Amino acid sequence: MADKKVSKKDIAGLLKEWSQQFAVFAPSKESGVAAMAKWDGQDTSFLDWYRNTVVPPKASFLPQMEEMFRFQKGKEGYNIEPPPKDENKRLIFGIRPCDARAMSILDMTFKQALEDPYYLSKRNNAVLVGLGCTNPCESCFCTSMGTSPTESADVDLMLIDIGDDFLIEEVTDRGKGLIAGTKGLKETAKDDEAKAEQSKKKAYDRVTRKLDTEGIKDKLLASFDDEEYWEKVAAKCISCGICTLLCPTCYCFDINDEMVKQEGTRFRSWDSCGFPNYTKMPMENPRQEKWRRVRQKVCHKYEFYPMTFDVIACTGCGRCIRLCPVNWDITQVIESVPNKTEAKK
Amino acid sequence: MTVADTRFFAQDNVYLPHIAVIEKIVEETPGVRTYHFNFKDEKLRKEFAFQSGQFGQYSVLGTGEATFCISSSPTRRDHLEFAAQKVGKVTNALNRLGVGAEIGFRGPYGNSFPLDFLKGKNLVFVGGGIGLAPLRSLIWNVIDNRDKYKKIDIIYGARTPSDLCFKYDLEAWDKDRTVNMVTTVDREAEGWTGKVGVVPKILEEVAPSAKETAAIVCGPPIMIRFTFPVLEKLGFTPEQMLTTLEKRMKCGIGKCGRCNIGNLYVCRDGPVFSYAQIKDFVSSEY
Repeated sequence: MADKKVSKKDIAGLLKEWSQQFAVFAPSKESGVAAMAKWDGQDTSFLDWYRNTVVPPKASFLPQMEEMFRFQKGKEGYNIEPPPKDENKRLIFGIRPCDARAMSILDMTFKQALEDPYYLSKRNNAVLVGLGCTNPCESCFCTSMGTSPTESADVDLMLIDIGDDFLIEEVTDRGKGLIAGTKGLKETAKDDEAKAEQSKKKAYDRVTRKLDTEGIKDKLLASFDDEEYWEKVAAKCISCGICTLLCPTCYCFDINDEMVKQEGTRFRSWDSCGFPNYTKMPMENPRQEKWRRVRQKVCHKYEFYPMTFDVIACTGCGRCIRLCPVNWDITQVIESVPNKTEAKK
Repeated sequence: MTVADTRFFAQDNVYLPHIAVIEKIVEETPGVRTYHFNFKDEKLRKEFAFQSGQFGQYSVLGTGEATFCISSSPTRRDHLEFAAQKVGKVTNALNRLGVGAEIGFRGPYGNSFPLDFLKGKNLVFVGGGIGLAPLRSLIWNVIDNRDKYKKIDIIYGARTPSDLCFKYDLEAWDKDRTVNMVTTVDREAEGWTGKVGVVPKILEEVAPSAKETAAIVCGPPIMIRFTFPVLEKLGFTPEQMLTTLEKRMKCGIGKCGRCNIGNLYVCRDGPVFSYAQIKDFVSSEY
């Protein structure tokens, strides 16, 4: 297990050392919204304010807007200019366990069948350094979604708060390799493991919101055509899309071209199943009505993703609850799905 | 019938289109054109392979991409074809292109019509409007291997006689004595001597036997919705009914999210589905 630790006041030194090999990303409020941003080389004030970022860390791998390629129209016709390979090795420092689990969930989509080169070229080189929560939000429900405030399953290294220090759990070989080559770490003391266990338990107990997802896939399948229920669920939604755009497991994107004179760019950008245009075809739209779009959002996470990948595409990060302008609450929705599974059989 | 089976391009980046040249344009109906095209790259022109039912992402660079099935048959490979109705941004831009213009192509994507399942069976093709495009790839494929299949019925309709696509095919199939070709239009029209009535109704009249038969259906969603119940009445099981679906798509490879029907992505798991696969969702999602 863990035999190294780092003093909280030495985090800047640690990140400086890692910056020599990696593009280090850490929580930042520089842009006005808390997000993982390229570390500025000194600021560790996030250790005081950081509970979680508003923008999920997926943005480091699936940016809100991303150039796919450029093209030129010349005398010989079109020329397609492949994008330069992104060989930046990223180190995401301070990712929360819920968001790290979300990255594993996103990997399933981007790795399946034909691979997505933009996402994977960034992701395959990345090191995730987790930071266990000590102060989860009221909206968090990670302990109901297969993870916890200090779960290390989806990171390379996990840092657990033990007072003046962070205990470092070395999870993957990549994480172990990194620690082996890192200076400025301290050996753990005898009672550090016990302190870490205490810290974990305390954080776990602070996640008070619970969600029972037993049998949810089948319940949703049986209630798929229950228009009355979905109308009720969707009633107050204003289709702003924020619960999907800032969801750490949502991956939908749009692709568009821009061309000025003879030169153009194809780029992709986040999109949302909450928007009516998302599925609009020239002659028809299968999800013109709001309730159909809300149903898609809920069912994609709790029914379709489990059918395809055997995992619920929600990690209980609570962003969609915290950030919703009309207080829509996914946990209330999931708990109120009618149980028609017997009737359907 | 997985995407991996049909993977063809060994290039690093699946999102980069190949440049192709439009070689011929056929005006099918007011608003619908068939584009004949070939790849600019000679090696690709020779080695490109696809199966009936697969689709591509077509670019008018600078305007964007749109999804169309490959409407020609892999048994007739001197060029490729797709058909597009002028309805949106990309199809309008396509409509402004002429012979010699360059387009982008990514693909082939998606699964294909299950030839092994269809072999040795009677085939009933049910098509409406531009929905004949994917069916004609399979129909020519089957006709070019005629001895592998039994009876062939084709029931095809459009709103008016001038909305009938691929009239040259309809004539050829009408002349083919091994094919029962039934063409219909929704309402009486001057000079029209064929059947009158919507496709599901004519299907009910023709009443093909379900025994050792597969039905392959493609057309506007409303036609598809009304055709399945007729086939059920004729004794077809959900496994015997195949369709190919169209949805708004961006990536074509199961990532961008929007083309799902329930847990199935049309691009990744389709576009060819049996009714058995989609019946839980089709009533309210298509």
